[in-house]
Amino acid sequence: MHGTDLQIAICGSAGDGTIAAGDILKRTMALMGYKVIAFDLYPAEIRGFGKCIARVRVSSEQAYSLKHHSDVLVSLHDGHAIPHVGEVRDFGAVIFDDAPIARVAEGGHMSAHVRPAQIPYGASLRAISEQASGNARGRNIAALGYLAGLYDIPPEAFQQTIMRKFAGKPEAVTEANMQAFDAGYDVGAGVFKLDDVTMEPPSYQAEGARAVMMTGNGATVRGLLDAGIECFFGYPITPATSIMERLAQEMPLRGARLLQTEDEISAIAATIGAGYAGARAATATSGPGLALMAEMLGLGVMAEVPSVIVVSQRGGPSTGMPTKTEQSDLNMAVFGASGDAQRIVLAPTNVEGCYRCAGKAFELAERHQTPVIVLLDLYLSNRYETVIPPKTNPFAPKPFEGPSVGGGPFRRFAETPTNVSPRALPGQAGGVHTITGLEHNELGRPSDLPEMHAAMSRKRHEKLIAATEHPGLTVAKRFGDEGPVPVGILGWGSTFGEILEAMFAAQAEGLPCTAMKVVMLSPLPLEHIEAFFADCTHVLVPELNYEGQFAQLICGATGKPVTRLTRATGTPMQVEDILSEVRRLAATGQPSEGETDERGLEASLS
Amino acid sequence: MNADWKPVYLEEKLTEIRADGHQGYRSRSLPTWCPGCGYFSMSEGFTIALREMGIAPENVVVVSGIGCASRFPFFVNTYGFHTLHGRTLPVATGIKQANDGLTVVAVGGDGDAFAIGAGHIPHAARRNVDITYLVFDNGIYGLTKGQTSPTSELGFKTSTSPYENGDMPLNPLMMLLSYRASWVGQAYAGRPHHLADMIARAIAHRGFSYLHILSPCVTFDKTTRTYANLDIQVCDVPDDHDRADLMAAMAMAESSDYPALGVFYEEQRPTLGDVMEEIGRRARSVPIHGGVIAAE
Repeated sequence: MHGTDLQIAICGSAGDGTIAAGDILKRTMALMGYKVIAFDLYPAEIRGFGKCIARVRVSSEQAYSLKHHSDVLVSLHDGHAIPHVGEVRDFGAVIFDDAPIARVAEGGHMSAHVRPAQIPYGASLRAISEQASGNARGRNIAALGYLAGLYDIPPEAFQQTIMRKFAGKPEAVTEANMQAFDAGYDVGAGVFKLDDVTMEPPSYQAEGARAVMMTGNGATVRGLLDAGIECFFGYPITPATSIMERLAQEMPLRGARLLQTEDEISAIAATIGAGYAGARAATATSGPGLALMAEMLGLGVMAEVPSVIVVSQRGGPSTGMPTKTEQSDLNMAVFGASGDAQRIVLAPTNVEGCYRCAGKAFELAERHQTPVIVLLDLYLSNRYETVIPPKTNPFAPKPFEGPSVGGGPFRRFAETPTNVSPRALPGQAGGVHTITGLEHNELGRPSDLPEMHAAMSRKRHEKLIAATEHPGLTVAKRFGDEGPVPVGILGWGSTFGEILEAMFAAQAEGLPCTAMKVVMLSPLPLEHIEAFFADCTHVLVPELNYEGQFAQLICGATGKPVTRLTRATGTPMQVEDILSEVRRLAATGQPSEGETDERGLEASLS
Repeated sequence: MNADWKPVYLEEKLTEIRADGHQGYRSRSLPTWCPGCGYFSMSEGFTIALREMGIAPENVVVVSGIGCASRFPFFVNTYGFHTLHGRTLPVATGIKQANDGLTVVAVGGDGDAFAIGAGHIPHAARRNVDITYLVFDNGIYGLTKGQTSPTSELGFKTSTSPYENGDMPLNPLMMLLSYRASWVGQAYAGRPHHLADMIARAIAHRGFSYLHILSPCVTFDKTTRTYANLDIQVCDVPDDHDRADLMAAMAMAESSDYPALGVFYEEQRPTLGDVMEEIGRRARSVPIHGGVIAAE
């Protein structure tokens, strides 16, 4: 195997410092120039002894998702970590606290659960920390030191990250953690190594110097800021809250305004109000919030007001699973509102995509005078990736808007070749007009004449078509083998990382395979999609919901059959599941008919 | 799309309107309200107030919800946004956040304000958004042809309360005072000159101003809130009323059998715009984590 591709899972109980250790690990590896993808799982409850897992994939080459199998499991709490021993690959390492057997219940010790093919590394992490720093609280950091020693990772990089992590805390805290790390490192470096993994230098280290770690939500915030967001209105909801929290810190520094509203209805209402008054305005929410926003979304479509709505999906319906991921709000994002209310929906597939989509959303909203939804999900919102920020701001500044000169009342909804009408902002003389959620004529006056409704409905739909050719925006992109192939994988959103990994794995097995991501879910970039269908004998659509909402959307738009691979577990798709479906389709041409296993694996419709 | 506008009203009426001097604030659409509706004096009062205050039409945005009263933006020659039922205040808040320089007037009826939109009022009031909220209260749903509203009297008979309304009516003035709206007043459609004056004073107030306007529905309420009844019920806010005294204002609001016309309460405190400016100053003087974004 060329290069390094190491996935480390750290598992502990809330309060063990599990997430903190994972944080130091991923930042260190990013600093060293590795490609890092990380995703933490933690309970919805703030207190208690729930299970926390931090998974960090470190790769010297490009990587697109977490792996199904981890290479290393670090247990900070055997009770929680024992069920995860199975995810460690053969000849992978399990690092655990080698406390005296007498102090744990029978069967409660990790040493009893490591499989024969796995390599147990028992270390007295608590004792190491206590001896080094006089405090057992550095146990998680001692474990990191042990890991670094075991895999010959230079300690300097870790030390730098630990310094940063505890910056602002009393010096003694930093000191104690450094001592715990060093002591752990010495023990780890001295043990007998059975694992064959060595740390190769990353292949894109030069670029790595500019690489930063970001979550999908963080990248979304950066995109909104770089595009010059002026007003934000929001209501806290998992997993979108961190967007608002970050903006609350950053926007006032730039003279921009953020307001925490009384609910999601007022959040989008105020966003549309600010958009009407000419500001670049946005809100962010999750599925339940989007449900409340549906009526206002329709007003935004009808009154042709630009607005940006970031939606991070979670498990549903209703309150559902606030801290679990799902891609089940596609239908609501694309269709949710009364009447024919077409809008623009962008679904980025990785952290960098979050930045691009959020930044481009304002341009699209202004150019097409419509609400734009940026659709994320928890797995994308909270996932960490190393990304290389662009050297110059790629987003267009707000265009100057002025009423056209000419006598008579301002024709806000005038017919034009592009179906986009001239816009005037309150405060501009000569542009006075009223907009409404009622069907209206060119002046914005209520009108329910049959020919008016027909003409205006056409205008509202057709003005969006040009969005699929928006400059600088990837609306769909094909990867893998070119030309005709037996199996193509069509995907959207966070799942596309797993799709790409599965495609590469299939190619490695000698199966010709291609994959296409669809970023613009409304209006659909049909030209790209139809070209993809023309090349693929079978089209597989993996997604994280029960019914296959994207598959339905694609079938409806193309009239072509697809094979669905749906999963409603609240957890990310497994590369293995996609790969086995690709193998089956390539071999027999038949989807796994009617088969639904406990993971919600399902194939239907042909 | 043929949007050539064709006047459908009598030429004499238009001549009369052109002659009255505040044509610049009227739109070219004539109101669709029933003849005799109290809302005519409100729209008349509004145009008079704007003209007398010398506010240019393009610097005014009228935001409304859904209902008879909410058709108002179509009848004035300012920027207007006819939004959704009950969502007037958050939209108006957004407009004001985007541009402090605009004069933003939110307009709605009693159903729009106190049924579907009631949840937004305390928040606009406590934030002291610098907008004016005009609520035209006729105690009935007119646009849907006469149903009970949250300010309908006990025992009121309508198509949805054929055996008499049993729900206690809300007291909007008491609500607004307890929400700490920074300006609270009451006017009556039957006293158009006083109404115009009150609208001007409400707009002139810096902060959230709430003007409650009593009005009859001449089509669907022939018995209760009629001009005849209101004419004998209304009284003036006493000359010696202390407008800074919240308790005195509440006491006056509680005696709703004899509605007092005038300013109930008035205070000066920072507006939402002021607070936003202050947050900006604080952020720039003590940046949190010294610019967190790059480090994430």
